[in-house]
Amino acid sequence: MLNVIARILAASLVSWLLFITIDVLFKLPEKGGVSGAAAIGQAIEKDGGALHGGYMMGNIVCSPDASAGTLLAACGVYIAGIPGGLAAALLVYIGNRICYDPGYAGTTGAVLATFVIFGFTRIGFGAEEFIAGMVLAILTIQGLSHLGASRLLATLWGWRA
Amino acid sequence: MIPSEIALIFVVLVGLFAALRVAFEKNTLRKLPYLNVLSFAVAAAIALLIRHPLALLAAVAFFVGSTLESNAIASTYAGGRDKDD
Repeated sequence: MLNVIARILAASLVSWLLFITIDVLFKLPEKGGVSGAAAIGQAIEKDGGALHGGYMMGNIVCSPDASAGTLLAACGVYIAGIPGGLAAALLVYIGNRICYDPGYAGTTGAVLATFVIFGFTRIGFGAEEFIAGMVLAILTIQGLSHLGASRLLATLWGWRA
Repeated sequence: MIPSEIALIFVVLVGLFAALRVAFEKNTLRKLPYLNVLSFAVAAAIALLIRHPLALLAAVAFFVGSTLESNAIASTYAGGRDKDD
């Protein structure tokens, strides 16, 4: 049981690095993709957070991004291996289009995560551990401290910009 | 306990925590990131509980639907669409 918990935490770290890297590379912190995402960023800034980190959090709320892609790819790999992960990527792309978003971050995240997660299943991890890991990873950004997370994301965006 | 049950326990605990934060946060726009965590947990739980190809479709449909709702709520609070949309 402790092994499983350790693997879930490791999977969480891998998922975190994966989705943050893709989201920052795809410029999610630059601006709110829709007016609602911008409003969430401004609400977080008003309460003492950082604006660009807030924009990225708003964008994550308003359209499936790389974090959603990673979660759904993990679900796909858990259910049906690589074809399942790629099916999830296609569904994420359709979801992005529904949410008025070009969809590159979400789809890229889902495709990359499919192969990363499949690779980890070859060395003893289970895809279900990545499902729990991704839920923990999104908790650290969206669910613990908006102010702290927005400042961290803004710092990462500063390196990218 | 098998790994998927342990994973499910983590997912359920995160979901409950996020639900409490949604309930106690006063600012509507700042409720939405917590709701986003809750949607992650529910989508994850659907896949973990029902290991079937259609469950993947259900998880994605739930997640995209909830994202679209958050998008609509946030954009309404922001005063509607941007002029250049």
